[in-house]
Amino acid sequence: MTLLALFALTAPLFLERGALNDLWNLAFAVILASAWNLLGGFAGQVSLGYSAFLGIGAYTTVLLSLQNVDPFLTLPLGALLAAIFSVVIGLPAFRLRGPYFTIATIGVGEAVRVWASTVEFTGGSSGLRMPAESFHFNANYFAMIGLAVVTVAIAAWVKRSAFGIALDAIKQDIDAAEAVGINSTRFKLGAHALSAALVAIAGGLYAINFQYISPASVFDFRLSLSIVLMPIIGGLGTIAGPIFGALIVSTLQIKLLAIPALRDSFLFVYGGLLIVVMLFEPQGFVGVGRRLGRLAHVR
Amino acid sequence: MSDDGRSLLSVRKLSKRFGGLLALSSVDFDVNEGDVFGIIGPNGAGKTTLFSCLVGAQRPSSGEVRFRGERIDRLPNPAVVKRGLVRTHQIVRPFRAMSVAENVAVAAYFGAGRRRGAEAERRVRDILERTGLAGEAGASAATLSIGQLKRLEIARALATEPRVICLDEVMGGLNPAEIVGAMALIRAIRDAGVTVLMIEHHVHAVVGVSNRILVLNFGERIAEGTPQEVLRNPAVIAAYLGGEEQVVED
Repeated sequence: MTLLALFALTAPLFLERGALNDLWNLAFAVILASAWNLLGGFAGQVSLGYSAFLGIGAYTTVLLSLQNVDPFLTLPLGALLAAIFSVVIGLPAFRLRGPYFTIATIGVGEAVRVWASTVEFTGGSSGLRMPAESFHFNANYFAMIGLAVVTVAIAAWVKRSAFGIALDAIKQDIDAAEAVGINSTRFKLGAHALSAALVAIAGGLYAINFQYISPASVFDFRLSLSIVLMPIIGGLGTIAGPIFGALIVSTLQIKLLAIPALRDSFLFVYGGLLIVVMLFEPQGFVGVGRRLGRLAHVR
Repeated sequence: MSDDGRSLLSVRKLSKRFGGLLALSSVDFDVNEGDVFGIIGPNGAGKTTLFSCLVGAQRPSSGEVRFRGERIDRLPNPAVVKRGLVRTHQIVRPFRAMSVAENVAVAAYFGAGRRRGAEAERRVRDILERTGLAGEAGASAATLSIGQLKRLEIARALATEPRVICLDEVMGGLNPAEIVGAMALIRAIRDAGVTVLMIEHHVHAVVGVSNRILVLNFGERIAEGTPQEVLRNPAVIAAYLGGEEQVVED
């Protein structure tokens, strides 16, 4: 993991722009997957509404940049707004359990998208463009790679902390967790806010990189879906899982998009992967790795 | 029914309604510091519902629960645990993907004691020792026998550092030797300064360790007193022991 990070940070010295773009995409995917995993993997609360946080971050950055604020200075505010929004929707939604919670998050994500398409200050469904000259690839590249490293470090820290232990207890048996003194709502809100803030910063960097956003790009339900698929395919609730998942999914997406006939079929491929993972190894690729490790050990 | 200041837990007119079913009907009782307070009654008498309402896992429909003088009947379960009142589950609920020691550690972290680091570890070791689970510390909770799981429920509740522990049928499914062990454990818990409420179907065991017993039937309190008083009570004999000719005495 450290090697991967070092490679990505030194890559601009020897890689060309196309390959750097792929690395940028990978870092973006790692952030989304690892941040989502804080709530979905560690606490077992599967949300399908994460595009809302990405969009809040992206729109905060574009709207403020249009007011001549330095784009990078807008990132903390986007994170804060997304965290606040996550608490506002979490308070009622976390009263629901299992699939009911998931369904509620789909509703929230879609409601935000529709709302953003109809109000004026977001530019409606035609979207918004960043001010000219706000784009610097290297700055954006290093920020994205750095955020990916920070996100994975945060996930590793959470997993070992008392906070992470509480999330794990909540995932395994929420009533038993409450019975030993764990305020489940507070911990779920905390994980939700932390992951929402990280995703929003990634959303801001996304806006800076692509220079143009619209509800159809940053509030897309398919985006929420692929955020969920990455940790599941890689290995839910682990540190390495979301990274593997991001690697697999973002590579596939890049390769598939390059083949015109398959351009629209990547969701089909995700679906297939998801079914295979569910059927044969619910712990994802990390689970496969553990099995291979045990096999090698036996021999 | 005295409020002489010794009463640690006092319950007044506690009722719980589930739709058309009155699971608890205006139940009154007091538990004093140092009691082993037994609660008996036929299946469906409302015993587990009573525990759920005491700790805040369910909200009573009406009535009052005071713990150390403070109203707790509107508090959520974790807040009640942090004040020192905890329950075990009749149907055991271990964290199955954790080891035995981790199960207990979670309770040490987030219970009334809020222990961390070496202090938490010391408490976990101590409690595993006391509950006879030290040999299983590293084992996955999923691999334990029912007797061990019942003890894990007790260990986890103790790790929250309660003033009062509510034990819900911790002897269910145990063999006679294990029941003797469980009785000794309950006495040891009381001797360590923790007041005990216990729901139990094994009448011999309850009589053996309790100093007071409450009898519930169809959600109502039909008797309360010392074990001898309760077992001689005609209403109890009729409702619970199932016939006037058969009185348990030993």
